[in-house]
Amino acid sequence: MRIGHSISALALAAALVLAGTAARAFDAAKYPDFGGVWTRAGSGEPRFDPSKPPGRGQEAPLTAEHRTTFEAILQDIAEGGKADLPAYTCLAPGMPMIMNADVPMEIVVFPEITYIMIDHIYESVRRIFTDGRPFPRDAEPAFIGYSIGKWIDTDGDGKYDVLEVETRNFKGPRVYDESGLTLHPDDMSVIKERIYLDKADRNLLHNEVTVIDNGLSRPWTVMKTYTRELTRRTSWREEVCAEVNGHVKIGMEFYKLDPNGYLMPVKRNQGLPDLRHFKE
Amino acid sequence: MLHRSSIALAALAAVLLLTAGSAQAFDESKYPDWKGQWRRAEPGPPRYDPSKPGTGFRQEAPLTEEYKAVLEASLADQKDGGQGNDPTYTCVSPGMPRVMSVYDPMEIVITEGTTHILIQHVHDSRRIFTDGRAWPDYIEPSFVGYSIGKWVDTDGDGRYDTLEVETRGFRGPRAYDATGLPLHRDNESVFKERIHLDKADPKILINEITTIDNALTRPWTAVKRYRRADVKQPVWPEAVCAEGNVHVEIGGTNYMLSADGMLMPARKGQQPPNLRHFTTPAR
Repeated sequence: MRIGHSISALALAAALVLAGTAARAFDAAKYPDFGGVWTRAGSGEPRFDPSKPPGRGQEAPLTAEHRTTFEAILQDIAEGGKADLPAYTCLAPGMPMIMNADVPMEIVVFPEITYIMIDHIYESVRRIFTDGRPFPRDAEPAFIGYSIGKWIDTDGDGKYDVLEVETRNFKGPRVYDESGLTLHPDDMSVIKERIYLDKADRNLLHNEVTVIDNGLSRPWTVMKTYTRELTRRTSWREEVCAEVNGHVKIGMEFYKLDPNGYLMPVKRNQGLPDLRHFKE
Repeated sequence: MLHRSSIALAALAAVLLLTAGSAQAFDESKYPDWKGQWRRAEPGPPRYDPSKPGTGFRQEAPLTEEYKAVLEASLADQKDGGQGNDPTYTCVSPGMPRVMSVYDPMEIVITEGTTHILIQHVHDSRRIFTDGRAWPDYIEPSFVGYSIGKWVDTDGDGRYDTLEVETRGFRGPRAYDATGLPLHRDNESVFKERIHLDKADPKILINEITTIDNALTRPWTAVKRYRRADVKQPVWPEAVCAEGNVHVEIGGTNYMLSADGMLMPARKGQQPPNLRHFTTPAR
């Protein structure tokens, strides 16, 4: 009888400890292992739809009006211009461009929030809130937008496997990639993502990104894939755009800086910058 | 007999389950609660030593004579309309130690092998590696340096409470504050920090920071405090330095941009930049 009581007590103690620990610890077993450092899979220059060539090759479903804008940008780039693309003034890439993962990104998952950190042109930190909050009514617009996510167990095995995300509340200018493909200047984009590990290879992460934007004639969905870095990263490269950006925007014109920091034209026969504010 | 065996089996299963769960879970209970949004606690301008009333010479930094002169020159240049030794006007990172003056809200994200300090200001975020790594043979220099930290349980209650950090591996220029209070141009600074909650007030985070630098006559320690925002869902502003930055550096000289984006002088009587590469006439 004494032994029976002891065993009961042990069982009760174990159950209590288990319950207590589960309440305090982040039960990582419930979530897919998104944690770590990811680099974009595939080759070639980073682009929104990795399955297609850049620029016109992306076959973006642009409205007629936005296609005219895009063609004008391509023309300016062909002439040596920078077409007011935000990277040349070190503006944050924002969504959706940062998910092209031009440089490695780090993902950290907690039950209430998932962080995606990418240091490219700007130190972007995406915060994907998974605490059940609604979209705020008066959030300050951001290049990165405001993201709310929801974990889904698609196969009913008691573990989450997909993170569904919706991102709104943007400011601009924003681009899909550095080819000149821009989003609509009204910044009314909505971006939806489904992020999940590859079932056959847990070191591949997929992101089905859908952009709903007034520069498009229909929602545009692409599949992005990232590869997990398997060796421990010993360092992270510090990329400070202002240090390496050899461009200056004066008025509506871009200029380059030579190695000594002096202004140079970017286009043939480009005129001098307007010096109206300097007295003779 | 069967009943007792079942119970024993259940107990064993519970223990095994507990062990297995612990191996997979990141046990947040081992670490202090540093979640939320932190802002510097003191009023006034961001400064290295918050206990001192101001910046520049009012910090009473133990500078060598040479670097006192560097600070003098910086202040004189700023008085004349220049930027002195403050490199951040072109959106270059403030670097260490200045990022820990927390110009914009800070979030600390603790994970098993890394503590992330996230500050969206110019380029202020840090990674503090707590995975037991040794100092690498080569550190690529950076403005924020390379940080290795160690969690310490100072009161023996089984829970970490203090993060001890050492940071090396710098490039520059770096200054302590907006006056251009300088660190040595050799970039051989070492910083040591002890970060912990205030025992009397868990809404206050304390950072005892010590700078060892060749522009100083001795190590310089300051105690910084950050206050946790009492807000359930804090707002995280996206501060993009380049947006609206009116400073342009051309040929090593600072100019400004007018409201319509045109070049203008930053100082009285400043001449336009050298336009040696242009052959076509001015518009």
